[in-house]
Formats: sequence, C-alpha cells, structure tokens
Amino acid sequence: MILGDLLGVHVYDDGGTRLGRVADARFVVDGPPRQLLADARLLGLVVSPHSASSFLGYERTGLDQPWPLPRMLRWRHRGSFLVLWEDIAMIGTKSVRLRAGFTAYSPALDGAGQE
Amino acid sequence: MKTDRPLAPVPPTAGRTLDAQLHLMDRQVLDHDGVPVTTVDDLELNGPELDTNIPPGAPAPVLTALLTGPVLGTRIFGGRPPSTRLIRIPWEDVADVGIVIRLGVSGENLDAGWVERWIRDKIIARIPGGRHDPR
Repeated sequence: MILGDLLGVHVYDDGGTRLGRVADARFVVDGPPRQLLADARLLGLVVSPHSASSFLGYERTGLDQPWPLPRMLRWRHRGSFLVLWEDIAMIGTKSVRLRAGFTAYSPALDGAGQE
Repeated sequence: MKTDRPLAPVPPTAGRTLDAQLHLMDRQVLDHDGVPVTTVDDLELNGPELDTNIPPGAPAPVLTALLTGPVLGTRIFGGRPPSTRLIRIPWEDVADVGIVIRLGVSGENLDAGWVERWIRDKIIARIPGGRHDPR
C-alpha cells in the first residue's frame, strides 16, 4: 500500500459516525533488526476532525514560536487524536473504519518533536 | 469527536517514533558520502489489503520503501503517478532519520538518481571542461 493514498481519507467509527480524516501515520522503529535500522511498523494513524491533513505538526509538539502560528494551527487541528493499529478494523480506498470501543490517544510527541 | 477531557498518552514503545508527514515525507535523502540523492515523495507499506476487514491481532504493516518519482504534475493537479513509475529506495538502505534521511549505501547505484547521472554523462560531460572540477 502506498501511504499517500491513505492520507486525507475519512475515518468512521464502527457505527458509521464520521470522526475526521487521516492526517498522518505514526511508525515506531522497533521491528526485527536489519543491517542499518530496524523495521518501522505502523503504530497508528493520527486523525484530525477539522482538517484533511496536518500542517507543521504543532498539535503534536510543545513548540510555541513563532507567534501566532502555533496557536492558530493548534486550533485548526483541535481534537486530533491517535488511534492504534489494533483499533483499526478496515482500511479502504475511500474510508477507514475503527473497531468498536477504540481508544483515542493523545497525538503528542515529546518536546523535541522527534519521539 | 468531542474530546473535552485530555486524551491518554500513547503507551510507551521501545523504538523511536516517526510520524510520516513530520519526519519522513519531503525530507532530503543523502547517500553514505553525504551526496544528495533525492527527496521522499511517498512511502510504501507491506499491507494491509485494502477494503478488507483486518482480523484482530493481525501484525502491523511495516515500512518497506521510500518512494520518489515524477510527482510535480500530480502535486499541482492532484492524484499520484502510477505505482510502476515510482522509484523505490528500500527501508533496509536507510541508516538514519534526522533533518535529512541518510542512506547506508552509495547513491551512484540507486535508480533514484538516474536522471542526474544521465544528464551528467550525456550532456555535461560533452561540454568542453565538463569532465573535471572547475579550476
């Protein structure tokens, strides 16, 4: 699967309620080790209720400069959440469906914005 | 989704976390000598099957390749080039992800740099003085 096809796709819960769109995909480099880097497995998807994509990722970091961009972009991406791979029931060309009782996690990265 | 309460933090993971848009897409790719190779236009995963229910407990898909290719037109007008037109740099060749993505291999043998190599060998090399460094 090509990841670009997944970004911007609508996300629904198991009852068909629209939750937002796929803004990003989070990977974690903890798979079987290779010669250089370990495999990067899909940890989950960042879902944004109000925007089709994420811009600069201010909603995931603690950065507050340059004023007023962080404030504006956090408002634009308000309500974003991360849903883990285990809670995804189906990934389609037009929609992503989550499992019943899925957990919405905070999409925040650490202060450096790296992990 | 209404979220009045703060959301729970993600359960801790052992490895480094990479967000595709923030840490991988559009980053410059350098080979092991620090020579620019290309930029990351897209990413390829080894699953899942599209429009098919994912059974509980299914292993998570893994990043298999960085993709690059002729995406200028599709960035302006939408869509993406056919998968066959995209050039793959296997994830096994990636050595480090930071401000740039560093490969552990030489860029000279990668398909991603064929346009630049072709221009160098067929055009620049035929210009008088084009075969050596400027003095």
